[in-house]
Amino acid sequence: MRIGVFIPELVRHLFKKPATVDYPFIKQELPPGFRGSPYLKPETCIVCRACERDCPAEAIEIISINEAEKRFKMIIHNDRCIHCAQCVDSCPTDAMNMDTKFEISDYDRHNLKMEWEYVRAVIKPKSAEPKS
Amino acid sequence: MATLKTFIYLIVYPGLLFLFIYSTFVEWYDRKLYARFQNRMGPTHTGKAGILQPIADFFKLMAKEDITPERADKGLFSALPAFGLAIVSTAMLLLPVWNYSLEKPSFTSFNGDLIVMLYLLSLPTFIFFLAGWSSTNLFSTVGAARVLTMLFGYEVPLFLSVLSPAILAGSWRMAEIAAFYRARPLLILVNLLAFFIALICIQAKLERTPFDIPHAETEIVGGTFTEYSGKKLALFRLMMDVEMVVAAGLLATVFLGGFPANPWIGLVSFILKTLFVIFFLSLIRATTSRIRVDQVVSFSWKYLAPLAVLQLLIVILVKGFIS
Amino acid sequence: MKFQIPIGPQHPALKEPIGLRVMVEGEIIRDADLRLGYNHRGIEKLAEQKTWIQNIYLTERICGICSHSHTTCYVQGVEKLMELQVPRRGLYIRTLVSELERVHSHLLWLGVAGHEAGFDSFFMYTWRDREIVMDILETITGNRVHYGINTIGGVRRDLDELQVKKILDSLDILRKRSEYYKNLGTTEPSFVARLAGVGYLSKEDAIALCAVGPTLRASGVPRDVRKDDPYAVYDEIPFEVCTADTCDVLGRTVVRIKELFQSYNMIEFMLKNLPEGPIAVRAPRRAKPNEVVSRYEAPRGENIHYIKSNGTDKPERLKVRAPTLGNYAATIKMLKNGFIADVPLIFAAIDPCICCAERAVALVDARTGEEKVVPMLALKQLSQKIYGLNARKREVEWPL
Repeated sequence: MRIGVFIPELVRHLFKKPATVDYPFIKQELPPGFRGSPYLKPETCIVCRACERDCPAEAIEIISINEAEKRFKMIIHNDRCIHCAQCVDSCPTDAMNMDTKFEISDYDRHNLKMEWEYVRAVIKPKSAEPKS
Repeated sequence: MATLKTFIYLIVYPGLLFLFIYSTFVEWYDRKLYARFQNRMGPTHTGKAGILQPIADFFKLMAKEDITPERADKGLFSALPAFGLAIVSTAMLLLPVWNYSLEKPSFTSFNGDLIVMLYLLSLPTFIFFLAGWSSTNLFSTVGAARVLTMLFGYEVPLFLSVLSPAILAGSWRMAEIAAFYRARPLLILVNLLAFFIALICIQAKLERTPFDIPHAETEIVGGTFTEYSGKKLALFRLMMDVEMVVAAGLLATVFLGGFPANPWIGLVSFILKTLFVIFFLSLIRATTSRIRVDQVVSFSWKYLAPLAVLQLLIVILVKGFIS
Repeated sequence: MKFQIPIGPQHPALKEPIGLRVMVEGEIIRDADLRLGYNHRGIEKLAEQKTWIQNIYLTERICGICSHSHTTCYVQGVEKLMELQVPRRGLYIRTLVSELERVHSHLLWLGVAGHEAGFDSFFMYTWRDREIVMDILETITGNRVHYGINTIGGVRRDLDELQVKKILDSLDILRKRSEYYKNLGTTEPSFVARLAGVGYLSKEDAIALCAVGPTLRASGVPRDVRKDDPYAVYDEIPFEVCTADTCDVLGRTVVRIKELFQSYNMIEFMLKNLPEGPIAVRAPRRAKPNEVVSRYEAPRGENIHYIKSNGTDKPERLKVRAPTLGNYAATIKMLKNGFIADVPLIFAAIDPCICCAERAVALVDARTGEEKVVPMLALKQLSQKIYGLNARKREVEWPL
């Protein structure tokens, strides 16, 4: 038991810069590999639907637009996305990627939707079955 | 002319307007210090370095919806904030900031004004008690009971510790006490113990950590102020700030030699000395954790009161030695 | 005068909704009662409709603070069901993250204890230093709260040399700071006055009431799943089970601070002995019909997942027993004959995670206070009756 055992620490910090950051005005640097929002590189997507199947939040939707032309549309519902990056892991051709955006709030959930319309790519996947 | 002067005294300086501005500044100062002690930034964006934040908070609260509980005593519930603010503002008029003259004492500086001051500073406690009791909320009731329990703890040591410099100066008039210590600065050191006891008691009176028991938010929500909102809460908050200024002013007058006899220098030294006292209040707030209400009572009767009596003894001995 | 004070479901001392009703006489608590179910999310039912992989992220969201605990517990069970041999490097990284999580959870708890006791400076300082761990976790896993590092058969991200160095550097600062908090938390008079002797739980009561984790260890029972039933790589790592015999909140603080130092040592050991090799093996999509119980020592205590598979790619049943549930009975015991002022401290001392423990709901009539058991069919009929009367509009644009 010592009275005022905290005082030296408190007074020392009185003359120090605050540890907190003025956040929305001063942005902090994100570490590399930060899991932000998922996005698609349409030129490498082979429409294997592994991402759609594995997405825990059912945020990925792949719609066939024209069967003959092999045109597809991928919609990522960012309002449902839980940013787990399982789609990136499931993708056999590295078509799904993560950016580092995290300030994606919006007044309307429809604005968070991201869409890509593309022709199916013909690439040999890295492995026969998508990795877990 | 005299009427106009009185009006200026009451409304502009040192009355309501000065009090409002200075007490909000003091709140900012306290918040900023508290934040910097904790390695945080504190208010930053309203005005320069957030200096206008308390005023912004005040006006925001003024504009908020004002709710009176169905089962509360409505008249009492609504009148209490105004009463409380009036009481502490009156107490401010007694401080010898402008009525410093010893030869021509004005009507607010008289022999025994120290007692009136302490009386006026005791009343806010009852205002808090009534506020909690009249809102009929369970948490408020518990808070109100805690206010009174705490009062039994800190009031006697506070009176005793303020008594000792008065005894040494041989006067019950604050202006005279201050003048006495200005003339003999070394004697301030005699009252050092009483100064720290008074600091702790004032901290308890202002209900700040470690004595923020009546409105301990993690235990009893808002305590006495649980049911207060909008304008009434704004007035209560302002009242607490004014009370802090007045209490700091009282300590500065009684223990630190008051404010030299010139309105402008007096104002500057008033500000400096109150800020000095409030620095200690903030430090105590940052250093400690909240204690229990039974611990407050036992702490003040086991340690504070005996120490205050010891201080009285010292003062009496010193007084005999001097004369 | 006896009266009942409702603490919760909405109360500043509670971070999540729980109904804690205390019967007080003046300032002294005579009786206490816990009401759960305000935070029930139907996670166990939802888990039955998701695949094994999707469930990793679902179990991660059972709790925000011990998110890694729940996934590890679940993933261990699933690996046992699928008969997978996880590579050692994967296990090391998994254990490393779980120890880092323990550090961040205990530092968080210290701050919360400070805040509940009104010691806000302590709270600010511990949380400032907790940011160091959070930053490490963010660097190695890609997120601050939901790390998502576990996958069935290993982990998802590897460690590189730079990260190892960064963690080792940060450990020095953390050790120094923790030493300071240990000193401060056990010597600051007003803080100790609030902690010492509060929430007494004797050794016999702790065992009888099935307390877990630091609450149990502070009553002098050296019980720790990491030692008693080692999982992952805990049988290779040297560490001690920390106990205290004061049986009060101060003891729980001391146990947690001691565990911090153990965790630092374990992290250092793991980083220095990190084996080479792959981090994960490929997992099948289905598991053979079987059932498994998985145990894990979360920062708050023993975490149990029961998983039953039926040969498909979805579990048939997932049952979660979070550590907080084990501590509720002991909390009631600790609260009795205490002060109102100590309620938040005693309750916080078990480090409650309410949403972890919400596995059931009770139906209570709001007017009469009568509890009843309602079969699913009756609930369905009730909902049809209510929503049949005021049918929802279909296909409306959000917001409604």
